[in-house]
Amino acid sequence: MTRTRRVLGVVLMIVLVAWFLTPLLPLGLWAGAETWSGTSPLPQRWGTGNIASVFAPGGGAAVLRSLALGTAVAALATPAGAVVARVLALRQVRRPRLVEGLLFAPVALPVFAVVMGLNVVVLRLHVPGFLGIALVLVVAALPYTTFLMRAAYASYDVAFEEEARTLGASSGAVRWRVRLPLLLPALAGAAFLAFLVGWSDYIVTLLLGGGRYVTLPILVASAASGTGNEPTVAALSLVALAPPALMLVTAGLLRRRLIPRRSRSARRPGPALSSSPVVEGTA
Amino acid sequence: MIRGTVSGTRRATLVVAAPVLAVLLVVVTGLGATALQSLGLMPLTGAPRLSFAAYTDEHGELLTATGLSLLIAAGSTALAAVMGMVSAVVAMGSPRARRMLTALVTATVPVPHLVGAASVGLLLADGGLLSRWLGDSPGTWPSLVAGRWPTAVVLEYAWKESAFIALVVTATLATRLTSYHETAALLGAGSRARFRHVTLPLATPALGLASAITFVYTLGSYEVAWLLGPAYPEPLPVMAYRLFTSTDLATRPEAMAMAITTAALAAAAALAALVLVRRTAAWR
Repeated sequence: MTRTRRVLGVVLMIVLVAWFLTPLLPLGLWAGAETWSGTSPLPQRWGTGNIASVFAPGGGAAVLRSLALGTAVAALATPAGAVVARVLALRQVRRPRLVEGLLFAPVALPVFAVVMGLNVVVLRLHVPGFLGIALVLVVAALPYTTFLMRAAYASYDVAFEEEARTLGASSGAVRWRVRLPLLLPALAGAAFLAFLVGWSDYIVTLLLGGGRYVTLPILVASAASGTGNEPTVAALSLVALAPPALMLVTAGLLRRRLIPRRSRSARRPGPALSSSPVVEGTA
Repeated sequence: MIRGTVSGTRRATLVVAAPVLAVLLVVVTGLGATALQSLGLMPLTGAPRLSFAAYTDEHGELLTATGLSLLIAAGSTALAAVMGMVSAVVAMGSPRARRMLTALVTATVPVPHLVGAASVGLLLADGGLLSRWLGDSPGTWPSLVAGRWPTAVVLEYAWKESAFIALVVTATLATRLTSYHETAALLGAGSRARFRHVTLPLATPALGLASAITFVYTLGSYEVAWLLGPAYPEPLPVMAYRLFTSTDLATRPEAMAMAITTAALAAAAALAALVLVRRTAAWR
């Protein structure tokens, strides 16, 4: 690699780090700012008061509602996506393209256009707020969970199940002790995405909840649409970022513990290999 | 036997039925009710009467909103595709770059757009972080947030979606790039030729599909444009929601007509992307 190319690589890397990190920078600064006058580049006094105020009465309930919505969507959309992906992968259903097309349709449609019409129907049928919101969000999450599980089944070998059956395992034992452990990483990823759909939804909750179902995103939006409450906006936003961040860190730690160090380092090319331009990016 | 039995097929059909019915129930009922209301066939009060008045667009508002929506979606998608592709190519450069960019991208993808918009507002607004850091004197900061052009809206979408595009393209390249690169290098291809004739064609289908998803998403998304966008003109979702919640119930059909217009544009864009991607060489 020539010197100019190496310099270019470093410059590009700095630009990309700035591109991805700068947009979230204000949250950390504002959430920790007890006093920050307009002329100062950094807060004059730091503290945890802003974060604590999120969990004041009302705020705590909103966080719990968002958690409930995220959990409900994950609990329904993950197994549904998994069974559909299995049926599609094993070609057990007629017209698989039609099934796929239908399940992926929600990605190509603006959710507000669907929910605006649904609003009247839900009101006339007296569907409870939480149920209506959760149903729409499960439908919105299904493409993601199905796609992820479909990809997992592409590299999954059904022969393991057949082998276990031949050795006398019951179908229940095969499901819990062969299939589940093998698909666990993909299931966790699908559940994570589905949880995010419920946890971070704003427009469906707004349109179907009619302002009565107050979740954390509703609070973030109402704070952010006003002026002069930067610390509140930042604190609410940071709390909204906490569960996904925690889940990602936990997943990373679990992977480290479950996959032995030797097999991880074996896949990584050594220093002699990685300096050769041909094998770059093998890891 | 797992494959191919009659009872297996019947059970599989039953398993698929519940999720498919849920999707149909929500999408068909929702879009159907939106369409009926836009045509005056499902009024909140009074008798239903077929009318295309909501689509006639007497004051040109529907056209302006459509233009702005397309501008936001195209601008965001173009910038996101460039930054996402650059990230993917840089990530392919070395294992260390790959680890670093994977961490950045994985941290960015789960950020809710609403939180991203709130944070970008705190960054780019007059009196926001950047104007403080750059020591701007009052009144000279460009109105990036809620100004004449949807600058902050496009930047927020481009930032978040570039992470998504980088993730998809990196995943595609990672599985196939190395062996092709080795072959091309053995045949004497330089780095520029490898990029043009190997990396780019391999990345195109993934880049195209991810960009199409970004375009459709930004076209129909509400909260970012509502928080960071100009008060006038409004893009389709923002204007539709304002008319929908207006105390004047007569504006309901117009709100629904805007929703249907957005859905039609999104579906058309998705179909066009699918057709185009299927024509690329690397699509199998």
